[in-house]
Amino acid sequence: MNNNKLTVSHAPFWHDGDSLFQMNLNIMIATLPAVIFGIIQFGTPAVGVLALSLSSAMVWELIMNVISKKKITIGDLDSAVIGLLFGMMLPATSPWWLVITGTFVAVIIGKMIFGGIGANPFNPVLMGMAFLMLSWKVFFDFDAAYVNYEFNFTALAPLAALKFQGAQAVAELFPLGDLIMGKQVGAIGSTFGLGIIIGGIYLILRGYIRWEIPVSFIVGIIVTALCFSMANPDIYAGPGIHLFSGYTLIGAFFLATENSSSPSNRIPMLLYGFFAAVMIILMRNIGVYADGTILAILLLNVVNPLIDTIRPKALGKGVNNA
Amino acid sequence: MIKRSFFTLSQPGLIYDLVEPDPKEPVSIPIPPNLILLLNEPIANTRQALIKKGAAVEKGEKLCLYNDSTEYTISPVTGIITAIDSYADVFGKISTYLVINNDQSQTSQTDSAAYDLKDDITSADQYLRTLPGAPPLKALARDDVKINTIVITGADSDLLSTTSQYVMLKSWEMLKEGARVLKTITKIPKICITIPENSNIQGGLDSIVLFKTASKYPSNLPAMVLKDHLNMVLPAGKTPEDLGVCFICAEAVVSLAKAYKKKSAEFEKILTVTGKKGTRYRAKATIGTPLHKVFKAFGIRINDQDRIIIGGPMRGFSTFTHNHPVQPDMDTIVIQSSDIIPEISDYPCVNCGKCLRICPANVPVNILVRYLEADQYEEAADKYDLDSCIECGLCSYVCTAKIPLFQYIQLGKNELLKLRAEV
Repeated sequence: MNNNKLTVSHAPFWHDGDSLFQMNLNIMIATLPAVIFGIIQFGTPAVGVLALSLSSAMVWELIMNVISKKKITIGDLDSAVIGLLFGMMLPATSPWWLVITGTFVAVIIGKMIFGGIGANPFNPVLMGMAFLMLSWKVFFDFDAAYVNYEFNFTALAPLAALKFQGAQAVAELFPLGDLIMGKQVGAIGSTFGLGIIIGGIYLILRGYIRWEIPVSFIVGIIVTALCFSMANPDIYAGPGIHLFSGYTLIGAFFLATENSSSPSNRIPMLLYGFFAAVMIILMRNIGVYADGTILAILLLNVVNPLIDTIRPKALGKGVNNA
Repeated sequence: MIKRSFFTLSQPGLIYDLVEPDPKEPVSIPIPPNLILLLNEPIANTRQALIKKGAAVEKGEKLCLYNDSTEYTISPVTGIITAIDSYADVFGKISTYLVINNDQSQTSQTDSAAYDLKDDITSADQYLRTLPGAPPLKALARDDVKINTIVITGADSDLLSTTSQYVMLKSWEMLKEGARVLKTITKIPKICITIPENSNIQGGLDSIVLFKTASKYPSNLPAMVLKDHLNMVLPAGKTPEDLGVCFICAEAVVSLAKAYKKKSAEFEKILTVTGKKGTRYRAKATIGTPLHKVFKAFGIRINDQDRIIIGGPMRGFSTFTHNHPVQPDMDTIVIQSSDIIPEISDYPCVNCGKCLRICPANVPVNILVRYLEADQYEEAADKYDLDSCIECGLCSYVCTAKIPLFQYIQLGKNELLKLRAEV
């Protein structure tokens, strides 16, 4: 009789084969259309910023793993995704120290000190971005950032122009078709609206992001912007420009959907996406910031644990007799 | 192993297996020289057991440890008890195992001992609990709960298993006879049967109510059958018996009919065996046969680190020994080669929410697991619906972080039972 050592473990004995590595790899693949377009548009400096951002984010996690004497976790690509999205939100002309400081805040303060993957209450990318935006506002002036570039379209940041010139003036400057096709200045990965939408739809179909969040987010932008625009079309722009400029789309598909800081029940997801979008338009139209995406989503991150308690009743809970 | 499909906008669907249209006769496994029987009661060191090493047993003899024991087992062969020892199951529950040396000269000829079976549940419960299929006679004979509906499960509850369907297909008349026996002995008028919706099993039903269960896992689990077909919601932490519904598998009904016909016990259990490459075999083995005899009959080689799964890939358990015996309730055996065993990890939950969207009982698994990891079982039950879990295993199956969620849940339930017992 043979006496092999058998593997003993708990049911279930099957797995659907998905993994964090797969999930993060797919998110990175989904960013490719926007990233490649950004590189073509803004040239080698964009490659530099993206590469530095991605690698420094991973290095920060590695350093933190070593210091805290924990298992090395960069293999799950979570930091790579943070770094890549972070790079996509920066102007191509960002100095190296800005990138490294930003990824430090994003990875170490945004994620690692809370206990690493899955434990962050805020989206790490947005933590880093908010830190940079509040500290070095000047680098996020896209008009100034691309002053040495020559574009064959209006080299004005649409949202800043909207803020200072009003909707009437802006309407002629930025045809909607141009905005969708990326003919605008902005961050490396946020200008090519069509590419971001393609990437987002890919992720939804693959099941790596939940459709409820981007859909309610976009609906929120359209509804709120439309309300403002109808109230005073001279000052407030329609939904088109809001949707296809600034960080709106990257926010809808890549930032608001970050797993750990977003709800996972259906109604909360719809509320979360919708109200994040409402906050963005409020900030853009009434607040002082040209683009409120970062702060609006961070704000909804705070509300997330609270709204995620709206959930369906579990089977047999609260049933006394049947 | 079923993998995630490329596009997963809709949830992954695990489809129950259907029995092949014209199944071959099962391969009969010869009665081995040594049989192992499990007895669901621990041996106490302080008491003199009724069963002794070296004692002779008859085929069909009822074996129990003590005079006041409520648990018993039936010897499937005539022979000699060669060992008695303790056995611990997956949850550390202690029971007893007996090794019976089969007297080769007699077994095939002798008839099983005749029982005095009357038309009441008590006499059936006296002798027939260990029939193939393990009829829940103990639950039916209980005085404290009133059972008013019996559901015969013709649809197998776990994936890969087709044992119940095979039995239904081959012994439809006996099944109906068994249902009549059940009706007579239990005096329960309402008897229902579950059959997979796209199965080709046909036959008259007499007064049995037919439930066609959906092909998607976990629709054949008791809680889902209650919800979908009987319009009952299983209250958290309760069993179907508490609601007056008793589930009995098709094979048990058939063996009840045979037992009542012959007035003696049956010992041949039908098994669905799935080999390493997914080949499906069907065997007929005497209860107590060590599993390695079954593998030998089909030429399945077990290597180091392979996994022997008893009871299906989603809800079964894995055994540590080739000598694990064939048991009355063992419908399926799956052998997994070491290279396809999915790994599990100690990653924390990333809150992707796949588990709570696939959960048929709406349990917020993503939050629940955080409490279970921190050993906070009471909060887990009070606030996050630990008791509502119907134990289908789908959460672990889809977990992106590969957390052993189902293990945490079962551990939590088990620990909670202990905590509540102490109070």
